[in-house]
Amino acid sequence: MTSSRGKSRRRSGISRRKILCGFTALVAVPALGKNRQESYSFGLSPVFLDNDMTTLSLLQAYLEQQLRRPVELVKRRTQEDIWVMLKSGQLDAAWMCDLSYVQHQDRLALLTVPLYRRRPLYEAYVIVNRASKAKTFDDIRGTVHAFCDPDTTSGYLITCWMLVLQNTTPGRFFRDFFFTYSHRNTIRAVAAGLAESGSVDGYIWDLMKEREPDLVDQTRIVYRSEPLGFPPIVALDTSRNLSNTQKLAASLLAMTSDRLGREILSILAFDGFTMVKPDLYGSTAEKWRIVRTQM
Amino acid sequence: MPRISRIAAWPLLVKVPVLAAGLMITGAAAISQVVFWRFAQDQDSNLQVLTGAYLDGLSAALLPGLIHRDIWELFETLDRSRSRYAGIEPRYAIVALPDDRVLVASDPRRFRLDSTVPGDLLKRFGAEDGLRVDKGTARAWLARTVRYEGFPVGRLFAEIDIAELLQARRQILIALIAVNGCLTLAFALGGYFALKHMLRPLGVLICYVERVRNGRVEPIPEGYHGRIAYEFDQLFDRFNAMARAVSERQTLASQLAEREKHAMLGRLASGMAHEVNNPLGGMLNAIDTIQAHGNDPAVLQTSLDFLKRGLAGIRNVARAALVTYKGGSDTSLLTPGDLDDLPFLIQHETGIRRLHLDWRNHISEPLEVDGPAIRQITLNILLNACAASPVGGLVAVTASCSNETLQITVADEGPGLPENMAALLNPAVSTTGGSQENKGLGLWMTGHLIHRLGGHAEVEYPGVGTRIVVTLPIASKEMLNAAE
Repeated sequence: MTSSRGKSRRRSGISRRKILCGFTALVAVPALGKNRQESYSFGLSPVFLDNDMTTLSLLQAYLEQQLRRPVELVKRRTQEDIWVMLKSGQLDAAWMCDLSYVQHQDRLALLTVPLYRRRPLYEAYVIVNRASKAKTFDDIRGTVHAFCDPDTTSGYLITCWMLVLQNTTPGRFFRDFFFTYSHRNTIRAVAAGLAESGSVDGYIWDLMKEREPDLVDQTRIVYRSEPLGFPPIVALDTSRNLSNTQKLAASLLAMTSDRLGREILSILAFDGFTMVKPDLYGSTAEKWRIVRTQM
Repeated sequence: MPRISRIAAWPLLVKVPVLAAGLMITGAAAISQVVFWRFAQDQDSNLQVLTGAYLDGLSAALLPGLIHRDIWELFETLDRSRSRYAGIEPRYAIVALPDDRVLVASDPRRFRLDSTVPGDLLKRFGAEDGLRVDKGTARAWLARTVRYEGFPVGRLFAEIDIAELLQARRQILIALIAVNGCLTLAFALGGYFALKHMLRPLGVLICYVERVRNGRVEPIPEGYHGRIAYEFDQLFDRFNAMARAVSERQTLASQLAEREKHAMLGRLASGMAHEVNNPLGGMLNAIDTIQAHGNDPAVLQTSLDFLKRGLAGIRNVARAALVTYKGGSDTSLLTPGDLDDLPFLIQHETGIRRLHLDWRNHISEPLEVDGPAIRQITLNILLNACAASPVGGLVAVTASCSNETLQITVADEGPGLPENMAALLNPAVSTTGGSQENKGLGLWMTGHLIHRLGGHAEVEYPGVGTRIVVTLPIASKEMLNAAE
């Protein structure tokens, strides 16, 4: 891990000072209102691997390079926080969970979506501790369950949808449950035994399996969802035609043609970004509708 | 008491270093105890401070999660705190609700959500918070109630591994024992060799004093002068002065004894001359008778018998003198005859004073003792008894032997041997030499002879006169040679 990161830095030619400056901006600025004259605010949802500061710094450097202006990467604990900041104008764009996008689709513009394994799709996993005897989704009944965020598809919606299909609720199906507000934390909770089962993003689980195999190997998948639309990069529909918004979409779409962009894509295990139609999230929207009406 | 007396009898060479080592051990033990106690106190105090800081920090970090019952946030806080507190190594931490149900624990497999806090942990604290230490298991337990605006919102329990702390204590204790033990041993050995060196002159002095006890009075060589402590130098000087005085007195006494011997010899010689002269007149008359009446066989026979008896008497006297003063008999044997001719030597003394000599020699076979020395001892005591006896008195001599001892008893009817003179017969216990008036030299010489032969003399006063009993060992030849 460390060596690959170092290698990445060498390839990118990004100086340590630049990374530190970016990190400082990441930590210090988000609590304040953004300065539109100076910087571009880009929100990151907790579904992203937000513990990798090097990747964040590289992404920030790439966006600054492409937008030719300072970029602030803003992190918040919940999807709701990101949505509130976006709709209130504190953020120019955001990488949101697909469920958040579905929930506020009428006010959001779908800019671009990552290609994971050549498709803009991912799966939701339900995992258990490696020592657990559970083999199917039904076997996790009566366990302590770890959800990620109530506004995530893989970390909440899919499991609830499965329960609704069984005409039950998390409160009845599980002995207890709690939210970790990060897919990585959900994996940690299940690995440590704090939770006996968890709902997690398949992309995050697969990526962490390569990066932190000791941790992820403590868990085991008992359920894989159908392919779902990958969490998209969005902006308010009202700012869809702003030049900065267009530049952001273009820069992400052009990542494969840039050395730093390719490095970021490599780290994130993406093949690139693409433009998709909102129909990609029809399945998610349908599940959301069912869950919202039944629970 | 016997044990104390035995310790009191220990040589200074051992006693002083042992005392020094004992004092060192006592001092070292006391210092070690104080240092160790102080160290343990500091450790306990530090543990209190550290655990207090740990609980303060952790409870403050846990408070928001406790208020919101946010399990993940609480777990994350516990997980982050594991290696954040220097000196504290928590084995586990539990965040419980006020009703003692586990809300979250750092080891969720062991303390499951919604289970009850282990009874033994609750029993350790009851309703109180604080620190509990069990040195036997090297564990400490902490409890802290977390309050929000005065209301308890949860309780934090933690178990801490204090093995390192106790290990540090053990190491300090071992180091103290090792260092103090080595120092004590070093000082004890140093003290032993230093005192041994310092007290070496005492050993020399004891050696020379022992020689004096065995009759060899020698001064300590001057070579020690200046190389030993002032006190021992003074002591050696005094000893040498005493040795010189004793040596001079012994020389003088020997000279006086020699004179006494000569005087006695003169007296015996005059007595012998008298004993020889007495029969000479009769013998000359017998020769005249033979010349005049030699033809008469009866007269001739009578005269010749007379001559023979006279010559035999002279021969006995002469032979006794020769044996006594020139030797002639085997020095390792005493035959019955060696004692039986002594009456001839004192015949003059007994004759002048008309003493009755009761001579009883029960020795029937040769004994392995120094014959000439026994003769000299018996003769000296006998002459003394004759001199002390009144005219017409009785002098009784008895010689007898058992398997191991020879006993010679000489009794007289004199006024009694003065005690200071009697003491001369036992030089091993007597501190006096011959009297200044040249009296008692014979007894002094006799006493030394008895001592040399390994015997002793007892002087008894039966009411009239004095009885001297000399007891001498009958030694094997080897012992006899060794004694000489």
